Formats: sequence, C-alpha cells, structure tokens
Amino acid sequence: MALQQEDVVISGDYFLKLLKIILVMVLFLLGIAAAQAHHVLGRPAYSLGADSNTPPSMQVETQIGDFYVTYMAFPAFPKPNEQGRVNLYASRIDNGLPFDGKVTFKVRDDNWFSNEAETLGVQDIDDSVYRQGFIFQEEGDYIITAEFSSGGEPYQIDFPLRIGEPVAVGPIGITVAVLFFVLITVNVLQRKRRFSLKAKRAREEEYS
Amino acid sequence: MTMTHPGLPDAWLWFAMALMSSSVMWVFIKTAVDVSQKHSIQLERIPVIGLLVKLFAASPWPLIIFKFISVALFLTVIAAGLWGTPIPERNLATTLTWTVWWAGLIITVFFLGSAWCAVCPWDTIASWLVKRRLWRRADESSSLGLKVPKAWRNVWPALAMFVGLTWLELGVGVTTNPYATALLSLLMIVMATIYMAVFEGKAFCKYVCPVGRTVGFYGQLAMVELRPRQQQTCDNCETRECYHGTEEIEACPTHLVMGTLTQSTYCTSCSACTMSCPYDNVGWRVRSPAVEAIQHARPHWDEAWFMLGLLGLTTFHGITMLEVWEKYLSRFAQLIDDSGQLIMSFSVGMLLVFFAPILLYSVLIRLAQSLLPVAIDFKQLFAKLAFVSLPLAFVYHIAHNLNHLIRESRGFTDVLLNPLGRDTLPLSSGELHMRHMNPLLSEQLLYGLQAGLMVFGFWLALQILQHRTKEALIEKTTWRGYYLLPGIIFITSVTAFNLWLLVQPMIMRM
Repeated sequence: MALQQEDVVISGDYFLKLLKIILVMVLFLLGIAAAQAHHVLGRPAYSLGADSNTPPSMQVETQIGDFYVTYMAFPAFPKPNEQGRVNLYASRIDNGLPFDGKVTFKVRDDNWFSNEAETLGVQDIDDSVYRQGFIFQEEGDYIITAEFSSGGEPYQIDFPLRIGEPVAVGPIGITVAVLFFVLITVNVLQRKRRFSLKAKRAREEEYS
Repeated sequence: MTMTHPGLPDAWLWFAMALMSSSVMWVFIKTAVDVSQKHSIQLERIPVIGLLVKLFAASPWPLIIFKFISVALFLTVIAAGLWGTPIPERNLATTLTWTVWWAGLIITVFFLGSAWCAVCPWDTIASWLVKRRLWRRADESSSLGLKVPKAWRNVWPALAMFVGLTWLELGVGVTTNPYATALLSLLMIVMATIYMAVFEGKAFCKYVCPVGRTVGFYGQLAMVELRPRQQQTCDNCETRECYHGTEEIEACPTHLVMGTLTQSTYCTSCSACTMSCPYDNVGWRVRSPAVEAIQHARPHWDEAWFMLGLLGLTTFHGITMLEVWEKYLSRFAQLIDDSGQLIMSFSVGMLLVFFAPILLYSVLIRLAQSLLPVAIDFKQLFAKLAFVSLPLAFVYHIAHNLNHLIRESRGFTDVLLNPLGRDTLPLSSGELHMRHMNPLLSEQLLYGLQAGLMVFGFWLALQILQHRTKEALIEKTTWRGYYLLPGIIFITSVTAFNLWLLVQPMIMRM
C-alpha cells in the first residue's frame, strides 16, 4: 500500500512569498537579539567581595589590543538618583604592568538613534585603578565608554550599564505580534484556498 | 572569582584505560552477534513502571497534565529571564534551562528515549496556538499543511541550529545571561509556531529543532523503544491508523509507520500511535541499549554529519571550560587583533574543534576503504560507520553534564522558591566554596560514573564498528581483524582525548 498523503497543490509564487515572510520575521527577531548585545564586550558577572564590606558589583573582563581590562560597576544594580561608581583596571597582557596614562569616561544612551556622548570625567590612575563616579536621573540603558591612548594607538571600550529595572515589554510584544501575524496570515490564506477550491468545484459542476 | 571543579583522578583514568584495552582485544576475538530481538521486555509487565505506562496509554490526560507543567515552567523561565535578576545563579531562567534541564535532559534520554519531546513546551505552545486543541485532531484548515520542500527534508537545518546554539551558549554566554535565555526561548516558540502553521506534521521537530534531533539521535542508544507488541498484527493491518490517524487522533506527525519502524530517531513520543491503534498493539518496551545504532538505523549522509557534529560540539563544550582554552584564545585574539568578547577568535576555535574529529574520521574512512576487500563508496562508508560517534558523544556529554548537574545545581530549590531572584545578591565566595565542596553525589561516585560511562561508550562504539563493518562486506568475504583498525584508531583517539578532558580541572559555570 502506498503511504502517500493527499498532495497539496501550491503555486511556486505563493510558496516563495510565504518563505520571504518567514525569513523576514526570523531575521527581524534575530536582529533584535543581536541589537540587545551589539555593545557587550566581555561577559557581565555579578560578584560579592570576599569581605562583606564590599558591595555587590557588576564586573566585565575583556581584552583589547595589548591590554586586559576589567570594569566594575558599584552598585551592581544602580537606581536613578543613586550615587554609583565605575572602577577600571587595565594591565598589559605581555607583562601585567598597569596602564598609567589618563582615561576619559563618556556616557551615551544605548539605542540606535542617539550617538551623542557626554563626558563624565578624565581620571588619573589611583592605586592601579581608575575611578569614575556617576549619578543618573533617569532609568534606562546606557553605554559607558572608556578611552585612552597607548603607544600611539587609541583604545575605546564600551560597557553596558543598566539604571533601574529592565523594560521587558519589547520582546514579549514583538513575539506576540509575530505570532498574531503568522496565525492571522495562515487563517486568511486558508480561507482564500477554501474559497478558490469551492469556486473551482462549482465551475467543474457547472461544466459537467 | 573563577573556581574550578577537580578533574577525574588518575586511578579512575587507568581503570578506564585497562577496561578499554580489554574491550579492544575482546572485539578481535569475539564475532558480532545479532542483538535485534534479544532481551526485549514489554514495559507494562514491569511492576510499578508498568502501571505508569498503562496510565499514560489509557488516557491522554496524564500527558496533557505534564504538558501543562512543562509549559508553566517554560513561561516562568521567560518571565524570570525578562523581569528577574540578571545574576545567573539566582535566576530560574539560567539555572533551570542550562544547569538542570539541558544538563539533565541528555541523561534522561538513555532511560526514557525521546519522552522529553512529548512534553516539549515549544511544540506544545505551537500546537495549542496553531491547532487550538488540547490534544484532539485539529481541523485541517488550522495549518497550511504544506509539504516540506525536498531540499529541506534533512537534518542540515538542525545541525546548523545546534552549531548556532553552541555558539550562543559558549561564545556569547547565553548560559549566564537570563535575559538572553528568555529571548532565545521566545525565538524558539516563534520558529516552532511558524513551522507548524506553514508545514504539515511536526516539520520543526523533525528537521530543525536542535534539541529534538539531539534527543532523537541519542535515542538510538536508549534502553526503551516504542514498538508493536505483535509484529504479525501490524503486518495484517490494512488501515494503519498509526500513520493516518483517526477522526479523533492526529496522524503520526513525523510520518512513521509502526509496523515497519526500526529506528526511533524521528519519534517524538507524542503517543498518537498508541492512542490510535485499534488493536492496542503499540507499547513501550525495554531493549538492548544501542541496538539501533549497532544494527537497525539506516545510514544517511546528513545524519552522519549530525552525529559527527554532535561529537565535535560535545568535546568543544569540555574544551571551553579549561583554563588553557582561555589562555590560547587570548593569545589568538591578540594575533588577529580581536577584542571585547573575542567572538571572532572563539568562532574560529569552535570551527576548528568542530571539524577536527570529522577530518580525522574522513582520513580514517579513506584508510578503511583501502583496507577493505570490497570497493565501497566513500560517502556510503562515511555514513555507515558514523554511528560509532554516537556513543562517544553521548557518554562524554553525560559525563561532562554530570559535573554541572551534581556540582552546580545545589541551591536550585531556593531559586525555585524565588524564580525571579528578587532581592538576592550574587553568590558570595563562602557560598561558592560551600557549593563547590558539597556536590549532590559523593565525588567518588561521580568519578566512578564518569569513568564507567566512558568505558561503556567505548564498548558500544566498538560493537557498532564491528557490526557495521561486517555488514558492509559481502557475505563470502573472509573476515580479517585489521579491517577494524581505522575505526579503532578513531574510537580510541576520541575517547582518549575526552578522558583527558575529564581529567582536567573544569571551570565552574555559575
């Protein structure tokens, strides 16, 4: 017995259209995921110091050119109008010696449409660490940029900083929208198919 | 602060190596035996377990309840990821997904086959959304029901997804990022729903899902299978409800016919066949593990790549958790002027490790071609013998995951009680140390399990090699032990490397 299910006849154009819709939606979603991470250098880790006097911090370790750079934000989850601090350590990969020039800290909104950066301060090394204080008045996602120059090479490192609670309506909203779109599109297409099938049958009956 | 898990002690290493050497000798002495029908027992006949199996077979509701639980947990994972703490060890999204589920899932495959797929929340949510039914057969107009284009009817998409998942997991660091874990979960729902809305059956599960395919291929080594109780009943059946479904029950979503089923790779354990069979002739049975990989599974080019890919990627997991990996990655990044998260360097490293076993395997297949007395096409032999990589990948995967599960899942109940990790602080050094020192099982038991698993995988791979090499020869050809040599070199090299990985201290994930 041939185990073949009833074939569904679909035109090539129709199938290509569907394929394009799916591809665009998947790429869109992937794009969103990538957008969330486009600035992340190193992986954020949250730690509590060995001695309880240290507040919890968000820490990112990364490598750029000839340097290992460690960035720590205190507190780990800063809130609006709350005093916070960024600590930056930069040491040479080859000999472990700390960088001892000046580091400029800048800040900008973490979104695609704003590139305006504001300088937070220029810091000198203090006990192998560069410290930069901050107070943000508004909740949001920010990018802290640390800039320095060594051996004639400019270095620029971006670190993410979240102030306040994250907004999560975006991903849920997009998912729900995509799902609705897919389900409604399928529903409409099925109705059209059924309608054209009915019309075809009616025509066949008429002729026969 | 980076902490490491201690590696397998030398004594266990030598113990494993001694058993492996004996296994090689055994294979040269002993001839391959037919394992197809040996020792299979209907699960229903086993006390207690039998009752449970009957309960699931009698009504769809027990499975639906499990699906509800799985979906509820999955939605909690998404909520925790989006709104919970970004501290990975305090958030349910990362701990449940990566430490408990992903690490534990592979272990369950050996005992339960593809049972996970039956309660998979991605597929369940997609089914509920598209079909708008809890379990009954849906109206045909709920999905476009297109046939998957011929060029897509293979597991290349699943392999690409698995490579992508590994890249996200280890390169981008999704495992320690609750928000990214939630985004990935949402993406999987969207993909599963689109596939279900457009294509017939469970095309996503069959061709795309990296978890489903991993479970499916490892399922060839499982100790249980869903099969006809009486083969004769299936042979005489003309209606084949298992394939076509009934008015109430869905057709097999992956187009399997129970009467001719010899390979469970694409079975999603959805129980449609058990419910639709008018003769109540479909049931679970305990079998000789790996019987499919040894004997029954049919070789395919794309599937061979998936199995070898699994091997490369599981080994890669172990490599990335070594301190030496970090060192070389950093050096390589300097060489190519990579910075930040070193994604480019990581990707190159990943590709190298992915292709290394495949390259070794290809060279040895060429050697096998020259040793065998009959001319066999390269692709054919490549696909036929690729099954040897399955047990090697499977046992190392479990041995590696045991480390995560046993050493890192302590404290999971606290996370369950506070899934979003509200008002929690990162693990202190003291807590980290306590977790490190108090694994769920004793260390010696863990080492014993790891060493035992590696020997078991080695043994199974030898069995597969012996059986499939003999199968490839013409019956009248005189058997020579050296025909197995290339395969043995491959199996030994991979196992030795994976054992070496287990001996190394492993960086704790969270």
